[in-house]
Amino acid sequence: MKRKNKKFQKRSSNSLNKLSLFQKNDGKFSRKCPLSIKNAPVVDYKNIDLLKRYVSDNGKIMSSKITSVSQNKQKKLTREIKRAKILGLL
Amino acid sequence: MAFYENTIIAKQDLAEKDLKNIKDKYNEIINSSSGKVIKIEEWGLLNLANKIKNYKKGFYIHYKFEGNKKTLDEMDKKIKVDGTIIRNLIVKYKKLDTENEFFKKEK
Repeated sequence: MKRKNKKFQKRSSNSLNKLSLFQKNDGKFSRKCPLSIKNAPVVDYKNIDLLKRYVSDNGKIMSSKITSVSQNKQKKLTREIKRAKILGLL
Repeated sequence: MAFYENTIIAKQDLAEKDLKNIKDKYNEIINSSSGKVIKIEEWGLLNLANKIKNYKKGFYIHYKFEGNKKTLDEMDKKIKVDGTIIRNLIVKYKKLDTENEFFKKEK
């Protein structure tokens, strides 16, 4: 059991070390979703400070590729941003 | 019965008396049509992000209430006729949190 654990650690710590060219280098671009951690801020149309972070200067909603928000939370974000725009808050 | 939130934007050039009248008016409308008001918040005078009906500022009033279809129909009817209200938004919720206030005035 001990040996197995050691092996696993080695691999995870050095994710950029590739065996072949076609292997995907995981870990370089993957970031965890900032809205689904513990004690995450509430996604709501009244919480403008949060929503402002996910809107560009021109008022467009940022894509989840850039912000690395999970699929479920991105859906909620778009809904709440649109609501805030109706009320003239954003 | 379900929980709802209703936000009203009133015109900026109103006297304090009129604002109070509006606040009481919709409080009564909800309570009289088989609904129940849980909380009323006043967000105060805020800048609008873009012009709405040629107004740059608006006075926000926020209701949290419990009701059914009858209350919503009654509200919609009254808001449509009301000339002092620029815009409104009704959102349905499964649960209302009455503790957090995002637009509290800091003094």
